[in-house]
Amino acid sequence: MSSRHAAPRQGLACLTMGPTSRETWAQRLGTFRASPSAFMAGPEGEDLGRHLLSDLRSEKLSEPTKISLLALSLEYPAQLWPDAPAAEAAATSLLDTLVLLPPRPSALRRPLLLAATTALAAGGALGPTSGASRRLLPLLLGLASGRDLGRSFGPASEQRTLQATAWECLRELESCKPGLLGGCLGLLRGLLGQEGAVQPLSLLLALALRNALVIQARARAGLQGLLVAGDWPTEGGPWNWMLAEEGDAHLQPQAPSWPAAEEGECRLATLELSPEEARELRAAVAQLLDASYLLTPVAQAQLLWLLGWALRGLRGQPPVLFKPQLVRLLGTAQLTLLHAVLALKAAFGEALFTAQDEALLLRRLTLAAQHPALPLPARLFYLHCLLNFPENWPLGPAGEEAAPLLLGSQLCRGLLPSLLHDPTALLARLHLLCLLCVEDEEKEEKGQDQSPRRYLEELLAGLRQRAALDGGPRALATLCFQASYLVARCLAGQPVVLTPLTHGLAQLYRAQPALAPHFVDLLDRVGPELGEPLKVVLRQEVVSRPGRDEALRWHLQMLARVADGDAQSATLGFLQAAAARCTDWGLQQALLQVCRALLRAGVGGGLADLLQALARQLEDPDGRDHARLYYILLAHLEEPKLGVALGPSLAAPALASSLVAENQGFAAALMVQEAPAPIRLSVGPHRAKGPVPVLQLQVEVLEQVYSLELRFRVERQIYAPLGAVHVPCLCPGRPTRPLLLPLQPRRPAPSRLAVRALYTTPSGLTCHARLPPLLVNFADLFLPFPQPPEGAELGFFEELWDSCLPKGTESRLWCPLGPHGLEALVSRHLEPFVVVAQPPTSYLIAIRLPPDSRLLLRLEAAQADGVPVALRTDDWAVLPLVGDCLRGLSVAG
Amino acid sequence: MAQRAVWLISHEPGTPLCGTVRFSRRYPTVEKRAKVFNGASYVPVPEDGPFLKALLFELRLSDDDKDFSESRDSCSHINKTSIYALLIGGEELWPVIAFMKNGMIYACVPLVEQTLFPRPPLISISGISQGFELLFGVQGFLYSGQKNDSELNTKLSQLPDLLLQTCPFGTLLDANLENSLDSINFASVTHPQKQPTWKAGTYKGKPQVSISITEKVKSMQYDKQDIADTWQVIGVVTCKCDLEGSMPNVTISLSLPTNGSPLQDILVHPCVTSLDSAILTSSSIDAADDSAFSGPYKFPLTPPLESFNLCYYTSQVPVPPILGFYQVKEEEVQLKITVNLKLHESVKNSFEFCEARIPFYNRGPVTHVEHKVSFGQLEVFREKSLLIWIIGQKFPKSLEISLSGTVTFGAKSHEKQPFDQICIGGTAYLKLHFRILDYTLTGCYADQHSVQVFASGKPKISTYRKLISSDYYIWNSKAPAPVTYGSLLL
Repeated sequence: MSSRHAAPRQGLACLTMGPTSRETWAQRLGTFRASPSAFMAGPEGEDLGRHLLSDLRSEKLSEPTKISLLALSLEYPAQLWPDAPAAEAAATSLLDTLVLLPPRPSALRRPLLLAATTALAAGGALGPTSGASRRLLPLLLGLASGRDLGRSFGPASEQRTLQATAWECLRELESCKPGLLGGCLGLLRGLLGQEGAVQPLSLLLALALRNALVIQARARAGLQGLLVAGDWPTEGGPWNWMLAEEGDAHLQPQAPSWPAAEEGECRLATLELSPEEARELRAAVAQLLDASYLLTPVAQAQLLWLLGWALRGLRGQPPVLFKPQLVRLLGTAQLTLLHAVLALKAAFGEALFTAQDEALLLRRLTLAAQHPALPLPARLFYLHCLLNFPENWPLGPAGEEAAPLLLGSQLCRGLLPSLLHDPTALLARLHLLCLLCVEDEEKEEKGQDQSPRRYLEELLAGLRQRAALDGGPRALATLCFQASYLVARCLAGQPVVLTPLTHGLAQLYRAQPALAPHFVDLLDRVGPELGEPLKVVLRQEVVSRPGRDEALRWHLQMLARVADGDAQSATLGFLQAAAARCTDWGLQQALLQVCRALLRAGVGGGLADLLQALARQLEDPDGRDHARLYYILLAHLEEPKLGVALGPSLAAPALASSLVAENQGFAAALMVQEAPAPIRLSVGPHRAKGPVPVLQLQVEVLEQVYSLELRFRVERQIYAPLGAVHVPCLCPGRPTRPLLLPLQPRRPAPSRLAVRALYTTPSGLTCHARLPPLLVNFADLFLPFPQPPEGAELGFFEELWDSCLPKGTESRLWCPLGPHGLEALVSRHLEPFVVVAQPPTSYLIAIRLPPDSRLLLRLEAAQADGVPVALRTDDWAVLPLVGDCLRGLSVAG
Repeated sequence: MAQRAVWLISHEPGTPLCGTVRFSRRYPTVEKRAKVFNGASYVPVPEDGPFLKALLFELRLSDDDKDFSESRDSCSHINKTSIYALLIGGEELWPVIAFMKNGMIYACVPLVEQTLFPRPPLISISGISQGFELLFGVQGFLYSGQKNDSELNTKLSQLPDLLLQTCPFGTLLDANLENSLDSINFASVTHPQKQPTWKAGTYKGKPQVSISITEKVKSMQYDKQDIADTWQVIGVVTCKCDLEGSMPNVTISLSLPTNGSPLQDILVHPCVTSLDSAILTSSSIDAADDSAFSGPYKFPLTPPLESFNLCYYTSQVPVPPILGFYQVKEEEVQLKITVNLKLHESVKNSFEFCEARIPFYNRGPVTHVEHKVSFGQLEVFREKSLLIWIIGQKFPKSLEISLSGTVTFGAKSHEKQPFDQICIGGTAYLKLHFRILDYTLTGCYADQHSVQVFASGKPKISTYRKLISSDYYIWNSKAPAPVTYGSLLL
């Protein structure tokens, strides 16, 4: 215990004198849970982890207290043991405690196993150099496989109950370190056929299998007999970390994201399996699926996601293996199971679901989305799935919610909104209704009275009626405006919908001016299709009905948003009349806000008179000053300058002094503003020369900018930090020179550059914009070797070729050729790197990959449709990149 | 598939925070993965205090909803699912699954195994359905058999242990928490080969099977020319199979009489091993015709130990069991009301109870009632502005009964009188509550021959049926009433 904690407080005194009592721990744990950060910052924080570990071995504390200590360590290991060495030490201590338990039954063994696993995995200590890992892994595997570990590990009956726990621990470790159990696949398969807990074993096998496939695909290797049984690792003996070390850099999603979302992430298609391996794999998957019925529904769903991911895109593994499961799954009410079926649908599409299957799935989904026996959150999720349904042949743009083609209005009938629904359900169903109205318009009226559109109108009217209720909850108003916004967004092109909506909203304002903040918000967010006409009717509504006094505040707030150059005289007339009634500070400020809006809109003459009158007549000196300031600005500044001076809107109108607020307005003009990108950047043709790769950036200018500074940030820091690029001035229409950006790779790999621009506008504002990220391709990093002396080229190449092994690797692949043949491909993409050329069939190519790798290609004996490529590199890691790159080149032609 | 954290929060309106965290659990190994997967878009799981505050604000359950708040009330802030983004310390925590049931808020944060920017669609995140299932499981556990606060507290205190069993690392192993409670008790039983995980042990004793069919009927009746009345039956079949053997094979069939209404939209329990395609495709989405599959509905299955819901269904019966109209005429401070109810002749005229509740919203307290009923008696609850017409066990021989009367109201004083967002102006309804035992509206039944057991011993079979009303509304036909799209399709 450190000396600064030596104050004689009761809890601390306990700590120094040995094990803490049960009560003290209970109190301490309570305080910790209330706010872990506050506790850790306090005097007891530093030593909590250490005391917890030592008290676990105390004989004075009861098992329940110790279990509560372990429970804490299961939730907050990062606070207790903040770094990897501390986590390693904690795991070691937990394992020691486990081993030291007397051989009688104990409730501590299970939480101790969980805690040691958590400490290692969460603390980042799991690895070949960790002693605790080397102890824990064989122990878990021994327990899991039901080997008798001797009496020291509790009675045999307890070991059996620990079996499932051990499987779960192993699964968690495999999740955090993919490939960890890659060496045990064969053993796991063997166990699955025997008696024992089916579920944890199935899930672990599926996860380990999936991870192994992905890692091997990345390394361009086959399954290498992994599925065939091997030896058990023993305690203290060597553990096979090979796959885990390879997989380490790429933590694998346990569940596949939707195919579109992770294009290019996992290229299982590149995995080459021998017929033997393919057969083994199929057998393993079939074995898992056949036993899946024995799993709980949630575990079945996990298994399906994992196996779907494992087999997706794998050559020679038809998804029909899943087919026998589908009918059973489609019949259930289980959210996880139906979701897993949708995942399979997304993964395999037509290969697993024919058009009829797709229609059936859609119907089941539709009825689940409206089934009164299911809980509302589940139904809402089904509706979401319906609007994001992975169709075999989607028509619309990806990533946008849309009703699937097969979902006609007949199918949707039970899914339409009604006023009786709760807000979330109403909005979700309203969205569907809007999508139907879009289709309805496309099909055009058939003279039917009860079209979805008509229904939509009535629904909106009902929502407005509720929003207008005196003293009703704000949620009703919010719902009404959310619905209006949704309709305006989905049906922006349909005046037949927007016109009644506009008038309905105007009526709502007339009935309930206190909703002004909602109207302002709506106007800020909708497009001009609704925004412009709504602005006009709301302005008319305000200026033509001065209203009662309590509404004046809202009218002024409304007018500050909708007032512009139109209908000046009516607006000014309203303000003059209102000025007399603006007796308190708040109202005067609201009035001045309207004047300010008019000022910005360029309203002249009448406004000057009003401001002069206000400067004399307002009671509050602050208000008078303000009116005078506006008058002076109006009299002395030209319109564009006036716009800049009043430019950015007031940040916080409720500030104590409006002058302060006004100052903020001016200050804002001097500060950096967020703005849309004024230029477009793209990567130009590759320049293969010089000591480092240089990107040529093409600039397309959209707006005039001055003093442009471009800042770049490299994703994942694969390259050294990049300097900023400065350009004094850019004008649209004037030609620009490409910008040169030298890269210093730390390893040869593609990356993305995040780009930000800082610049000044012609009106003098400083702006900041984020540009879309730039992609640096693998080929952009290619550099040629120095030209060897004439005649020595072949020797030079062979020397480089030989130098790659044994450190590096060799590979062969087939590069398909376009109609122009090998010559065109080389001259277009690889010319600078050719060392020896024998056109049109053979080229020897040497590429330097900064910082210090090389890539050598032999393109020899080209045929009409392709060329065999032998390649060597001294850097394993670039191998997958080369394959993609060459294929990319041949596609590009 | 995993969850980063789970919370249970009781909603306590009127208290300073409006709620208390009753239970929370974090999963640090999952959090570690979230950090890697989410990359720059990673937002850590907050401590309980800030989470509580942000969640209640987002769900509109904190008391400060008086003023317009852009982050919550903006028209573009639209939630179409029970999945939210919470603004905490300037960062947005997403996705947060949350819903409230019986005053308890259930929440969790599923792991998203990719970057959160741009947000992937929810359908692509496997942790979403797993999270829902976890929360439904916890909810099922808390409210199974629980009657009062102390029982709830006992159950809450069991939760940490249960989640340690069913969700030790954030990946759910079994959504049926009761099952794990059993398996703790069954711990000494060895698992024979092919024992399903969802079956914690084996049954020893007399074989018996019980099947109970409960149908709920809901209705919206308008008594209007241009709006069609609607009604629907929702059924649930609950079974308990006490049978020996580790995986006994059972087939349960449901039958309909010749004039019965076909079952539709059938959803089955996952223990059902196969389904006839006629069951899978029979759905209310299609226009009804005579060719609809009318059973028998066979469900081959391997039953779990506990009682389970074999299937849910809906059905469209030809007529509502009770047809009625309700007319309200406003005359100054008085309302003249007329109600007429008719029991359909095909319905069993023997109720456990039957009553009509007639509420009056957005008005002052009831000061005076004059009435005439042809049958039963009327009770008046003045403070609640509510009339209850107690019809009793039987309709009279004519099967038709009526009520007429005038109701006088006092001055409207805010706060105290019931508020309703639907019953504005003349819009008003009455709601029927009734229950009939040993009866289903569809005619659906199970009997001694409905159960086939492929195991030793002939089980004793008991069957139960009942019909109950649920959301059975009759709207004032003299004023606008909320309609569904279905009622407009005349």
